[in-house]
Amino acid sequence: MSIQVGQDVSDFKLTTFDSENGGFGEFNLAKQKKDGRWSLLFFYPADFTFV
Amino acid sequence: MGCDIVTVSTDTQFVHLAWQREEKELADVKYAMGADPTGDLAKTFGVYIDGVGLALRGSFLISPEGKLMNAEVNFLNMGRNIDETMRKFKANLYLLKKPDEGCPSKWKDEGDKTLKPGPEMVGRVHEALAD
Repeated sequence: MSIQVGQDVSDFKLTTFDSENGGFGEFNLAKQKKDGRWSLLFFYPADFTFV
Repeated sequence: MGCDIVTVSTDTQFVHLAWQREEKELADVKYAMGADPTGDLAKTFGVYIDGVGLALRGSFLISPEGKLMNAEVNFLNMGRNIDETMRKFKANLYLLKKPDEGCPSKWKDEGDKTLKPGPEMVGRVHEALAD
């Protein structure tokens, strides 16, 4: 059952590659909330493809 | 503007590293690139394609309170318009400050006309927008 607009998103963590500092990091929704930041999750099919 | 972007695909963080180094279109990327190889996060948001293991083109805007405020999902062959994403983000930022207002469909930026829904507007939206 996937989430619907208007519902609360459960906290999650995501391993990331952060090109700004060239290393691996983590995106943490709980931390975003703590820092008062909006988040935009942008899903796409695959690296090395087009569009 | 107070929003952190993170892109997500089912590639691992190592593929993201390789792609960002290879593809010149990505040379100026400043956002974090998230790895969802199990597809769990894509499944949470309803964009995981079963049997294929890839994510649809979905954008999800989450407020600082952790609420999902907007979802836009395109099929694989069509890109999302970043101007529209930006417009929706600005509308959300504005409306968080003005909980009694609504942004009509032509709203583009702060300063544009908004609506203050109430009983007097019932059946009179045309007049309200023309003001």
